[in-house]
Amino acid sequence: MAERMGFPTSIERVERLTPTLRRFVLRAQKQALPPVSPGSYATLEFGDGEKVYKNAYSIVMRSEDGLELTVIVRLAPQSRGGSRFLHEKGQPGLPVWIGSVANLFPIVKTARRHLLLSAGIGITPFLSYLKKMRSIGADYTLHHFCRPEERSAFDALLSEQDQTRVFVHTGLPSEVGLADWLRDESIATHVYFCGPEGFMKWVEETTHKLGFAPGKVHSEHFFVPEGGRPFEVILARSGRRVSVKADETLLEALELADVDAPCMCRGGACGACEVTVLGGQPDHRDHVLTEAERASGNIILTCVSRAKTDTLTLDL
Amino acid sequence: MSGQTQIRDSYRPPFRVDNSEETILRFPFPFPEDNYMYSMNIEPHVKGGPVEAMSHTFDVDEHYIGECAEKARILAEDPKRCMVLPHMRDAEWDFLELGMDSLSSDYPEHFTLKKEGNDWSWENHLLNISQSFVFGDAATLPLAPFEYMARQMQGDFTLHDQRENDLWMDGGMVTSQADWSLKFDMGMSFRQWHAPVPKASEMGIFDRGLRFLLMLQYGRPVRRLNWTMTINPRLDTSPENYMIWGEDRASVTAENVAEKVHLRVELQTLYRLPRSNAVLFAIRCYLMPIKDIMTVPKWRKRLHRVLRDLDPALASYKGLDLFRPTVVEFLRPYDDGAPLSSGIQSV
Repeated sequence: MAERMGFPTSIERVERLTPTLRRFVLRAQKQALPPVSPGSYATLEFGDGEKVYKNAYSIVMRSEDGLELTVIVRLAPQSRGGSRFLHEKGQPGLPVWIGSVANLFPIVKTARRHLLLSAGIGITPFLSYLKKMRSIGADYTLHHFCRPEERSAFDALLSEQDQTRVFVHTGLPSEVGLADWLRDESIATHVYFCGPEGFMKWVEETTHKLGFAPGKVHSEHFFVPEGGRPFEVILARSGRRVSVKADETLLEALELADVDAPCMCRGGACGACEVTVLGGQPDHRDHVLTEAERASGNIILTCVSRAKTDTLTLDL
Repeated sequence: MSGQTQIRDSYRPPFRVDNSEETILRFPFPFPEDNYMYSMNIEPHVKGGPVEAMSHTFDVDEHYIGECAEKARILAEDPKRCMVLPHMRDAEWDFLELGMDSLSSDYPEHFTLKKEGNDWSWENHLLNISQSFVFGDAATLPLAPFEYMARQMQGDFTLHDQRENDLWMDGGMVTSQADWSLKFDMGMSFRQWHAPVPKASEMGIFDRGLRFLLMLQYGRPVRRLNWTMTINPRLDTSPENYMIWGEDRASVTAENVAEKVHLRVELQTLYRLPRSNAVLFAIRCYLMPIKDIMTVPKWRKRLHRVLRDLDPALASYKGLDLFRPTVVEFLRPYDDGAPLSSGIQSV
């Protein structure tokens, strides 16, 4: 097994932003944390001895000295336990291991103008964008959508931003006129969006309908792997069998069984955990594989996808 | 690295580049097997490896001062060997930080870095450079940060922006290249700059390579070896100067082959840069004449077999056609055909 990569931290401060949103400031225990590019996420590992959770969160801020890292965690209703654990037991002093840090949603540095669209917790990657864009004098606008009862929380979160470029809405995108604003954007504008699936689908369809070139439309699906029907995997190289329970992911089951399986984002977005399927039918839940790859049925992303059949045979 | 305090090497006529026994044995010989074909030969760039050249983040050897002087001469003649597009500003600082951090921790006897917040001071004892500056403030350095640092490191460096699921060559300093040009490749995507390479595309190597590199993570650099052959110890075999070095290829004879023909190996390392999310591609070039390779029995036998059986399309692409038969003929008597251990280590 390779040396364990990452950084030990512990929770320094917790702030309750809304009943479902909490801000956690993590403090480095040993060396300073490396600089991060806007849009990066960190995989956090934490737990209570009974269970170890590994969840990826957008990095909202890294302090100048590299000693503190801020994330915002939403209590996910379909949580398999990670966000619930942080909301209930994430108190100052709790050790949190920062595993991989990577960026699947970077700012396009060559863009003339940036239009940022977010809903709910989808604001988190843009909090790091805004700081950078302001410091380099970029042309940008943010429209954020939230429920009326959350408005004051997001207003507060954005209070230090340039108020001529940042707008919070409590109406639906279709009601406040977002389609018209998108239509009025110039051909050089890049659109970035992040939020719940319904919002993502609306922006995807609307930008497509309005003729935005695919290369100018960027999104990050924040994705909590959901459970499902239990199944069994057969590891072809050793012949071992590993059971995947209803509330754990295939990747987690492999890790518990000490199988050295590849992974990075743990959210179906990067593709690093791809494994060859030798038998059985995958239930694809990622955002990476092409339609042709899905149809072929011979690869699976273990971090989010499951099985339609009772067993899957993997080339591991 | 052996002590060296003055310019000793000459990479132009009259050529003079001498390799000590230590330098020969630490050479990254590129052939782990008796046959060569393109492959995804990428492995983690962890310190240590089959040869000493892989034991540091950036390898510094006895030719450091000579190579830095040659680089400075090439840049003086052709300043556009170093170009960086404006959106790569953060990547420039990332590069400078990686270079200074790793050189000062890998070679504390040659390089010293002190940091107090953003007030940094850098000392390069080999080149007699001493510089205090504010990290992040380009006005406090005599050159742009990328150029400042790349001039103090052996090898070539390119900076790649990641966007639209591709890597774009948006900056670099290229002075020791095997017949490619930064001026030509600037702004190109991964597939565009690889377009001249035969066979590899149909083998799917570029698709897999790009997919892999798009997921490259900070703190987990990777490396691979690439190779070609160069006549005379010329670092700069650029298309811009083809009229100077091109004719060398027709000068190889049975008498001068061991002196003139060099195995040119690139130890290529790739790093994710943290602030910019850019990818740094470092290409460290090693030139080893046949006469020095001859001193290692395993390497001379393997080089004979690889060159003898090389795919003709690859031989042409690498520019070996005019002298490959002469080299093979020269090496043939020194290969007894005995089986060799796999891997690139010298025994």
